[in-house]
Amino acid sequence: MDRNNDSPDPRQDGNPYDATDATERRGEATPTNQDAAAQSIGAGSPEDLPDDTFASRGAVKQTVGIGRKTESGSFVFPAFDDHHPPEKDLIDDCVHCGFCLPTCPTYVLFGEEMDSPRGRIYLMNKGLNEEPMNDQMVRHWDLCLGCMACVTACPSGVQYDKLIEATRGQVERRYERTPQDKAFREMIFQIFPYPNRLRLMAAPLKLYQRFGIGDALHKAGVMKLLPKRMRAMEALMPMLTEQQEVPEVTPAVGERRRRVGFIKGCVQRVFFSDVNAATVRVLAAEGCEVVAPKLQGCCGALSVHAGREQEFEGFARQLIDTFEGLELDNIIINAAGCGSTLKEYGYLLRDDPEYAQRASAFAEKVMDVTEFIQHLGPVAERSPLPVAAAYHDACHLAHAQGVRRQPRQTLKQIPGMEVREIKEAEICCGSAGIYNMVEPEPATELGDRKAKNVLNTGARMIVTSNPGCMLQIQASLKRMGHSMPMAHPMEVLDASIRGADVETLLAK
Amino acid sequence: MQRDLLIRGMQDILGPEGVISEREQLRSYECDGLMNYRVIPELVVLPETAEQVQSVVKLCYDEGIPFVARGSGTGLSGGALPVESGVLIVLSRLRRILEVDIPNQRVVVEPGVINIWVSQEVAEEGYYYAPDPASQIVSSIGGNLAENSGGVHCLKYGFTTNHVMGAEIVLPDGTMVNVGGGKAADAPGYELLGAFVGSEGTLGIATKITLRIVRKPEAVRTLLAAFKDTEEAGGAVSGIIGGGIVPAAIEMMDSLCIEAVETAVHPGFPRAGAILIVELDGPAAEVEYQFQHTIKVCEENDASEVRIAEDDEERALFWKGRKAAFAAMGRIANDYYVQDSVVPRTELGAVLKRISELGAEYGMRVANVFHAGDGNLHPLVLYDNDVEGEAEKAEALAGDIVFTCLEHGGSLTGEHGIGEDKKKYMPKMFTTEDLDTMQLLRCAFDPHQICNPGKIFPTPRLCGERPGPFRMHPVQQAGLAENF
Amino acid sequence: MATRTKNVSVEDLQNIVGEGHAREAGAGDAVDGVPPSFVVEPGSTEEIAGLMKLANDRDLAVAPRGGGTTMSLGNPPRALDLILGTTRMNAVVEHVPGDQVVRVQSGIRFGDLQERLAGSDQMLGVDPPEAGEGATVGGIVAANSSGPRRYRYGTVRDLIIGITVVLADGTVAKAGGKVVKNVAGYDLSKLFTGSLGTLGVIAECNFRLHPRPETARTVAVELPDTASAGAASQAILHAQIVPSAVELVWDGETRLLTILIEGIPSGVEAQAEAASHILGGFGEVRELADDEAMPSGPPGAGDDAVAVKISAPPAELTGVLDSTLGASSRLGVTPRITGHAGTGVTYVGLSGGEEEARAGVVEELREIWLRRGGSVVVRQASPAFKERVEAWGPIGTRLDLTRRVKDKFDPRGILNPGRFVGGI
Repeated sequence: MDRNNDSPDPRQDGNPYDATDATERRGEATPTNQDAAAQSIGAGSPEDLPDDTFASRGAVKQTVGIGRKTESGSFVFPAFDDHHPPEKDLIDDCVHCGFCLPTCPTYVLFGEEMDSPRGRIYLMNKGLNEEPMNDQMVRHWDLCLGCMACVTACPSGVQYDKLIEATRGQVERRYERTPQDKAFREMIFQIFPYPNRLRLMAAPLKLYQRFGIGDALHKAGVMKLLPKRMRAMEALMPMLTEQQEVPEVTPAVGERRRRVGFIKGCVQRVFFSDVNAATVRVLAAEGCEVVAPKLQGCCGALSVHAGREQEFEGFARQLIDTFEGLELDNIIINAAGCGSTLKEYGYLLRDDPEYAQRASAFAEKVMDVTEFIQHLGPVAERSPLPVAAAYHDACHLAHAQGVRRQPRQTLKQIPGMEVREIKEAEICCGSAGIYNMVEPEPATELGDRKAKNVLNTGARMIVTSNPGCMLQIQASLKRMGHSMPMAHPMEVLDASIRGADVETLLAK
Repeated sequence: MQRDLLIRGMQDILGPEGVISEREQLRSYECDGLMNYRVIPELVVLPETAEQVQSVVKLCYDEGIPFVARGSGTGLSGGALPVESGVLIVLSRLRRILEVDIPNQRVVVEPGVINIWVSQEVAEEGYYYAPDPASQIVSSIGGNLAENSGGVHCLKYGFTTNHVMGAEIVLPDGTMVNVGGGKAADAPGYELLGAFVGSEGTLGIATKITLRIVRKPEAVRTLLAAFKDTEEAGGAVSGIIGGGIVPAAIEMMDSLCIEAVETAVHPGFPRAGAILIVELDGPAAEVEYQFQHTIKVCEENDASEVRIAEDDEERALFWKGRKAAFAAMGRIANDYYVQDSVVPRTELGAVLKRISELGAEYGMRVANVFHAGDGNLHPLVLYDNDVEGEAEKAEALAGDIVFTCLEHGGSLTGEHGIGEDKKKYMPKMFTTEDLDTMQLLRCAFDPHQICNPGKIFPTPRLCGERPGPFRMHPVQQAGLAENF
Repeated sequence: MATRTKNVSVEDLQNIVGEGHAREAGAGDAVDGVPPSFVVEPGSTEEIAGLMKLANDRDLAVAPRGGGTTMSLGNPPRALDLILGTTRMNAVVEHVPGDQVVRVQSGIRFGDLQERLAGSDQMLGVDPPEAGEGATVGGIVAANSSGPRRYRYGTVRDLIIGITVVLADGTVAKAGGKVVKNVAGYDLSKLFTGSLGTLGVIAECNFRLHPRPETARTVAVELPDTASAGAASQAILHAQIVPSAVELVWDGETRLLTILIEGIPSGVEAQAEAASHILGGFGEVRELADDEAMPSGPPGAGDDAVAVKISAPPAELTGVLDSTLGASSRLGVTPRITGHAGTGVTYVGLSGGEEEARAGVVEELREIWLRRGGSVVVRQASPAFKERVEAWGPIGTRLDLTRRVKDKFDPRGILNPGRFVGGI
């Protein structure tokens, strides 16, 4: 009708603003032609917009530049090669419903599609044959905490854990990071999986701050990136306490119900040796003979989460060797991050003809300690601990292993103990393996958010199963001028079984 | 306008953090909850305040640049599909709950606030926000407003439009207006708010929304009843509603759907030809009486089993099974195609029969999960995209289902919206005069048609396009065009 | 038959609607003192379309009219040639009880429709006061009239699901449909609700229906003061009972908050008890018989010279009462107040005093309640009063948009010119 013609559809009269008409900046990338791929980067072909494209790019770096300014300029096309790319079948399971968005910590922070699981999977799909791997792509994958809250939230059963691990493996192999970034990551992986080195490093870090080395470096204009991360690392370091070594074999109290292996963890062993001691006492009290090989290496969780595939495989094979042949009913772990990886050994070593089957057999025995205690059924007598505790779900326990009920139940079985839920329980605290060291800003924001929610529970103490979470939340509380007693469920249970006073537990 | 100038203009308004212009990043915005259509926007902007939205829109208006608003991007009709060479205004950073006014039973929110947050915010006061689309844990209030979202409980409590009391809107020319009474019940003048809600983002962008919250009911009872087939279940639906009861929700699933849901989330549903989930809420005495009546009706209609939710956990399990239905389809089929047609309740039996006949004619499986109380069907056509020709067949079948519903006096869409996906069907439901009259409203709000252009109304340029899985156009394959 | 207005004769009209259905207007047809030339009563949508096309071509100002019960709503018309009466279009087009939906022609009397629906134990959930005076469904939609039960069922906008309208140029268009749940296309049904015939003539409407409640009880509390009115109303609002209406009467010595509870007997009984218990904290509670349950009469009835409607946030009921009583007593005017306390709609009938004083009361109330997010609309008053006090009051930022909508639907401005907001 005529009267509608006074409002022309702008598309019918040609694009109202020029130069960037979509037809001019097509350039669908063909898998075989890297030059074509090059042209597909950015918004236009260089001929169209040589200047502003790059001007805008400079500015846009800051769009999602939360905590990251690493522009290496590296790119490869297609983004993935044939060695364990994110599987197309798994990507196709995602129906783009978006149910993962509100549980994703980075989406909560930035509100951007690319920093959501759905967005990251979308980019993986594009990386399969349409887009190159470059700074933008890598940045958004890097920003993922790997908390797996999206796996819990997903109604379609998308295995994001497998997808992001595969993607990270590809990134580590194919993407050239800036020298600083590389150096920092390398340093982490030269320290954290090695308890002895970790122990050695913890002290100098304290010195580092005390003598203002960071400031001096900053003024000198060198290592611009490192100090921020180092500071983050430093802020997370707890005071080293006296080491409590776990005996190689601890006999069961009373009748022996199980013979279990115990994995000591790396960070756990160095910074939280009390937790390990408590865990072993609890297991013994519940009728388990506990075998904890003295020489045991890292489980490789940090490596696998960072895509360092070969390094991981080395660690994993070693650990399997260590525990094989000990005739164990179960293998117990008290650190959430390690536990989730240990349970995946079978999948992760699937390509290794020598180890595939052994890894599966190993993984089948792995249980989180609270999971194990609830499975076994508690027998040791619990004495009362009248206190309100906020229970914090470690992502790698709740989301990656689906262990939510057991730790709560373990605490609730202690007479007098009140377990309080933390608002936004499903959102990660920002610790996430090495995340709070490589991405300090978003991690800090998440940590503070979590700390606020913890304080709002009004509980007197906080209980959680992961050393990383403890360090992270403690650092945030401290920054906010608060402190709160913190304990692993095993420390609480140990105190109860030993009949310790609640104030002693809180004074720890 | 030059692209660089546009970017700089937007950055002046939003700062560098609020503008996305890199191709890879833009691609993650190329579709919403419906992946069948994809368009890469020129720019994505992420304002944090209403004033920024206004400035962005003003800039677009001055330069004649089309724009599309997007919330959480969960829509199922492509309503937030970007427009080529246009700006995508993402409102996910406008996510503050601005005011909770319990005495007046109102909550004032920004558009990016997620639906369920509103209920969570007022739960302790004994209130909740009634519209509960299945996407409520992620979909934004602004998006709900644009689509006039429904949900399983809208049979009794109404749709988004019945719960939005006021809105601050940035019109496509950048002016800001307030519509609706807000905290007051009525406002003199045209019912512009009622016209705006459900306009699928084509009339402007709401930047502040006043919602009505509802007192939690004294009692809630939920039952699940199993029947031989959908016809018998349909009989029970008629019996319940014919008895003068308005259930809070009454949902039906057929056997195929039950199978999928069982595989996905294991709610322990009985294996039956059809199940009904009926929920009643309200004052305790009334609910109890009606609940007994409902049980009786189910039994009279030969229910093979009536299961009553004994506690919140069991009730949650019933609903978990229901709400997971779409996503669960992935477990029994590689691909599915969903429609959202509505039929008068009394036509349900005939239409379901016809759908099953059509399925047989096409040799394809159709699963049914739907809001039986209000006749809103969600037939899920199952197919395998990897089998040549199946996608096309699925589309054709879905189209025939839509036409069947229209023949029985129904509507194209009950809650998903027309968007990009169903606009080609609009002439089947409305005459040219009807559509032109709707366009009058559009022209009053958006004279230059820069606000979500190309949605809802079929345009000659896009006629003949069919929905379905994304396929490359020959022009695209030749590398000449990305989208068309 | 010699009267001619702007080149139209009664024959021209009779050619469209038939001889018996067009006539010259009489004194009773004037709208706010403005006399029309003709009254025409079409019998079908097509006839309305024919009439509108004629009117548009010949620039005739048209005022649609249903039962004629609310013709004083709005400002006096700027021009008036034709009254378009709809009462011949009084059919129930479709009613399938199982669908709980009805489709009617707009001229059907509301009372007749309800009676018809009662046969299926159903009802249309609006209960405007004009219903008893012969108001038509179309008129109720155009005037957006509502009654006490809006607390439970909402207003016309919440119940209307489809509409057929004839635009100023004779275009027949429909929107919505006959299913309750429907988001296809713009919701023009709502746009036309309350548009007072300024966008088009409503020809047909579709509504969702509700089951008729089996039984009802009304409990009331005698209010000692205005503060307790607000407090009692709040207490009911935040309770878990689900009344159909929460009404206020403040008229001379009668000062009641009444709670209407409807439903099945056992439920009604339990809820009435709960309501009595809550209200007991505010004053003496008693049960009202059916005939005294509802207020004495709609505002504007009896001696009222002026009737206004105040919309305000429901929690400000006490403030509404205080401001009304205060202004009235200072200016020597007698107020009669009834209202939908639960939804924040209050009707005030003003009698006694000088016209200037009554205008003063309305202006003062408007000043206060606009500032507090509400509105004050003059529902009924003499044309002279409306000269002093504009009927609708300012509508703020949306006036320009409102004008644009009007210009699109009725570019020549022939539909009810001058009667609506902003002189539209």
